[in-house]
Amino acid sequence: MPVPAPAGPTELPTELSVVVPLYNEQESVPALVDAVRDALASYASWELVLVDDGSRDGTAAVAERLAAADARVRLVRLARNYGQTQAMQAGFDHARGEVVVSMDGDLQNDPLDIPRLLAKLDEGYDLVAGYRKGRNDKMLTRKVPSFVANRIIAWVTGVRIRDNGCSLKAYRRAVLQRLDLYSDMHRFLPALAAATANARITEIPVRHHARRFGTSKYGLSRIAKVSADLLAIKMITSFRDHPLTMFATGAAAASLGGVAVVAAWALSSQVGSAAVERAYVLPGVALLAFSLACFLLMLGLIATVALHAPRALGGEPAPPAAGRPPA
Amino acid sequence: MSSSLARPAAPPAPRVEPDAPRPTLDVTVLVPVTERPAPLVELYRAYAAPLRASGRSFEFLFAASPARRDAVAPLAELAAAGEPVRVAPAERNVGETALVREGLRESRGRIVVTLPAYYRVAPEAVPALVDAVERGTDVAVARRWPRRDPAINRLQNRVLNAVVGRLTGAAVHDVGSGVHALRREVFEDIPLHGDFVRFLPVLALQRGYAVQEVDAAQHPGDLGTRVYAPGVYIRRVLDLLGLYFLLRFLDKPLRFFGLVGFALSLVGAGTLFVLLVRKASGETIGDKPLLLLGILLLTLGVQAVALGLIGEMIVHFSAAGRRIYRVRPAPATPAPPGAPPPSR
Repeated sequence: MPVPAPAGPTELPTELSVVVPLYNEQESVPALVDAVRDALASYASWELVLVDDGSRDGTAAVAERLAAADARVRLVRLARNYGQTQAMQAGFDHARGEVVVSMDGDLQNDPLDIPRLLAKLDEGYDLVAGYRKGRNDKMLTRKVPSFVANRIIAWVTGVRIRDNGCSLKAYRRAVLQRLDLYSDMHRFLPALAAATANARITEIPVRHHARRFGTSKYGLSRIAKVSADLLAIKMITSFRDHPLTMFATGAAAASLGGVAVVAAWALSSQVGSAAVERAYVLPGVALLAFSLACFLLMLGLIATVALHAPRALGGEPAPPAAGRPPA
Repeated sequence: MSSSLARPAAPPAPRVEPDAPRPTLDVTVLVPVTERPAPLVELYRAYAAPLRASGRSFEFLFAASPARRDAVAPLAELAAAGEPVRVAPAERNVGETALVREGLRESRGRIVVTLPAYYRVAPEAVPALVDAVERGTDVAVARRWPRRDPAINRLQNRVLNAVVGRLTGAAVHDVGSGVHALRREVFEDIPLHGDFVRFLPVLALQRGYAVQEVDAAQHPGDLGTRVYAPGVYIRRVLDLLGLYFLLRFLDKPLRFFGLVGFALSLVGAGTLFVLLVRKASGETIGDKPLLLLGILLLTLGVQAVALGLIGEMIVHFSAAGRRIYRVRPAPATPAPPGAPPPSR
């Protein structure tokens, strides 16, 4: 939880915050800060929020020095390595700008694209995503899986973004205020923003440079994780307000299957030879299908509890009454 | 503040009890009195001596369930004689974790040391742990080293440590010591639920605190052979399973249930596919128990995924307005211009 502290009363309202999560990027940080400073030279008030995600190298020290040298550069140090989602969330929480831009700390994004993102935002969008054109990455292990993944994500979530993996994005503050990121949800931020904040979303091409320092922090082994996350996102974005619908649909499908098996059984026992086993196996299958339907229906009811319990039960925190057993 | 699922939107309740104890002492030694405690008066005398010699102000706080009333009764004499001994009686019979939580609420020390109600480490370990915390670590853990107890004990310990290390990624060498020293704020910030007090160092690491192991001589009373009833081991295994799941999948349950469900469904679908091929070649399959197995596996797989989805929903709704990360406090300089904004 960010520690609340009043901002200085004399400062101008910050126009723009650039949020950069850093994990073991000590070589990149100075160049990054310079590049952002150059790119934003024409802006009156901006800030650069560096989030050190528990780096094990000298990133924090380097960033601290840079922050001390320029009041527009701020450093948020996380207590350990929480991963990119939490680092971004921390940056968003500490950003003061009306518009927030997120980007990677490895210099593969180009801060010179920021003004173009902002111009696009001014056309009436809430979120402008960059997509990497002429991407400087390995074809087989990076580009192909990424292309397939993005098509699937777009198809499942209904948010047509070509490149969910590109961190360079611009957001209106109001959108970020309605988001609470957890797990690895930064990857699905546009879909979440569309579902929970009704954000108007578009994308523009951005530059992409080859990695200058360090190594890439991703690999090919993410398919299972991303699939699970995608399924979760699908449910959250489509059914968060009526989960019973989703589970009831599943239950209906299972029941239908059960009915079909019952029909097949009735039919075959009339026509076919009266094998004794047939009398047990097919009804067994049907019963399994019906039990699945019941189970799903009950889960749907539990999901309704999960949806409503926080708000229905949690009006006021209970008073710290004497004699109440410890919580 | 511990997370309560029922009230995600409410801000952490301020601790406003008018008679809430202020940290007025250097050290609270918190002793949860659980099963088979050692005679507590002697325990107090043994551990208080080196702490007193170290020149710190301290108190011993014994947190006890009603069932342990007899064990803590003799302490009243100590208190009457002016020794800094207090008893925090729990109102019902609760486990060690709840006792520690209750005791923490009652405690007055700036540093809180948890000490089992039996002999684990030499008394000198307590001031050594307090030293480590005063030197700057957030949590100091006694590691019984060198070990002098029977091989069977050490084997059990080694297995436990290895498993915990493997599951949590934390390099711990003595999970079972039960002797920890923590700065009070750190202790209050670590969510303690269920049976997890014994994994305090692991939970502290998870919250991003610095944890340091301090070698401590083994107490002679800790040298007896320890072999427990099978139920104890089963409970340990369940504890570990719960801890592993908590650390690994707390905010992403579908990754676990999805994998399980996918694997089950895959086997089920494979079975059905084999049957389909057989049917295509003219066999009847409606009378094969294999059909039942295939459907059963598929059903189980769907159920596992559905459970994972429920988990994701719970996570989604409890994530609202909450943050997992913890920001490292800035070094003590006058408020920098880059102070964080008012939280929303």
